[in-house]
Amino acid sequence: MVTTISKGSETTMGGIDAALKPRLRLRTPTEYAGWVLSILVGLGILASVLTNPNFKWGIVGKYFFAESILRGLVLTVFLTVASMALGTLLGLALAVMRASHVKPVSIAAGLYLTLFRGTPVLVQLIFWFNISALYPDLRIGIPFTDIGTAVDTNAIMGPITAALVGLTLNQAAYMAEIIRGGFSAVGKGQIEAADSLGMSAGMRMRKVIIPQAMPSIIPATGNQFIGMFKETSLVSVLGVAELLQSAQLIYARTYETIPLLIVASLWYLVMTLLLSYPQAQLEKRYSRATSTLPRKAKRVAQPEGAAR
Amino acid sequence: MSTDGTIHARGIRKSFGHKTVLQNIDLDVASGEVCCIIGPSGSGKSTLLRCINGLETVDLGVLQVNGETFGYHETETAYHALSKKKLAEQRTRVGMVFQQFNLFPNMTAQENVMSGPVLVKGVDKKKAAARADELLASVGLDGHGFKYPAQLSGGQQQRVAIARSLAMDPEIMLFDEPTSALDPEKVGEVLAVMKDLAKKGMTMVVVTHEMGFAREVSDSLLFMDEGFVVERGDAREVLGNPKEARTRSFLEKVL
Repeated sequence: MVTTISKGSETTMGGIDAALKPRLRLRTPTEYAGWVLSILVGLGILASVLTNPNFKWGIVGKYFFAESILRGLVLTVFLTVASMALGTLLGLALAVMRASHVKPVSIAAGLYLTLFRGTPVLVQLIFWFNISALYPDLRIGIPFTDIGTAVDTNAIMGPITAALVGLTLNQAAYMAEIIRGGFSAVGKGQIEAADSLGMSAGMRMRKVIIPQAMPSIIPATGNQFIGMFKETSLVSVLGVAELLQSAQLIYARTYETIPLLIVASLWYLVMTLLLSYPQAQLEKRYSRATSTLPRKAKRVAQPEGAAR
Repeated sequence: MSTDGTIHARGIRKSFGHKTVLQNIDLDVASGEVCCIIGPSGSGKSTLLRCINGLETVDLGVLQVNGETFGYHETETAYHALSKKKLAEQRTRVGMVFQQFNLFPNMTAQENVMSGPVLVKGVDKKKAAARADELLASVGLDGHGFKYPAQLSGGQQQRVAIARSLAMDPEIMLFDEPTSALDPEKVGEVLAVMKDLAKKGMTMVVVTHEMGFAREVSDSLLFMDEGFVVERGDAREVLGNPKEARTRSFLEKVL
């Protein structure tokens, strides 16, 4: 049917003004097929999960708030926070070392990064746990003298310490790369401007480079944090009673393997979802579009005519 | 430290790898003199300027800035690089204005201008802020101190950058193509600030493509090409009556 363009609000056959008719999106058969297929598969999985008695949802509910599980969760949170905090500090030091003009310092940091990023965390954790085989005593004192005391390594390197050391040292390597990436995103001109004003290297780092590198470092650190939360499950191999190990200890006794793994998984999921909201906020806050202005600048009304 | 404001260079050479960018450069700038450096891109004019501020080191030659050997301490056998602290001290006496402004985006205009005095010289914050407001007013930005660089136009940003350099009370100001990154209609406001500065007796070395500015404000002029100084002399003389063929062909292209 051809709609003739007519003056005013004269209506055509349908009774709607031609200019006001809604614009409809093109819907392809693929789109409908996609709907149908996903709903069918989803319903199938849901039905199977709900009707398969082996899931034992009752047992999941029974153990969800069990004391040992909650204690495991607390330990998981502690390991995450502690290893992220220490790892970030060490990572910052490594990033600064890596950027050093003194070659041996930069190479030392580079070797550290290669070593810790190039081997699996699981292997590193087991390695730290067994470090006493390599160094039976830890000596604290002045080299080449008898001054100082020796401590039995096994007494210090318990499972939790080994877990903390392993996670921290590994995380430091990844944080160093993130921080270094943030540093290198700060333009060369900024460094030259700081230098030409006579700023010292430390001043330049604190007042010019770090504040500008933060917008790219912070969201990436948030991601690492969420990743670390799940990574802590690896330390269960050392017998540390964190979330996963707590679940394993129960099912070793009761043989209710699947329900207890579900309990642990649900807790990981809940915590990850809880963390991903602030993470999304961080990313939004530091996104490219808004990062040209520091956050506190938004309180200042943008005057008219201030171009760009 | 005496107030000096002179630059004397003899036989400056500088190469990056195999490429020699400065070949045997001599330069004399008297106190209060305005010297413009012109030439095609890649002629070494920016590198020469960056050497005077220590952003690049020279390979060979003598460079005296403000009456002191710049960046080095001379003994009978060698030039020994100065400690970072001493070098920073020398650099604070030479202001640098960049083509891309290089304002710190995390600081307001006022904080940018204050940054040198407060962070490097340890000036009291209140005093530095008052001085910064004065300097911003002197470059025509009265009342813009609270704005961040991203809220300012290119011309305004470059004027803040000039104020930031001036806050260190330098005896010499270096300008590296200060108007090349600006929209054409913003060039005038930056040149006006520079003219004003020249009138006040600041020693200035300006790498520029603004021939009008060179003719009007500059005392001396250097034409550089491929790392050599091809022609030098009184600015109006060189621009009006160039002696070298290369200068002539360059000027024909840009004028």
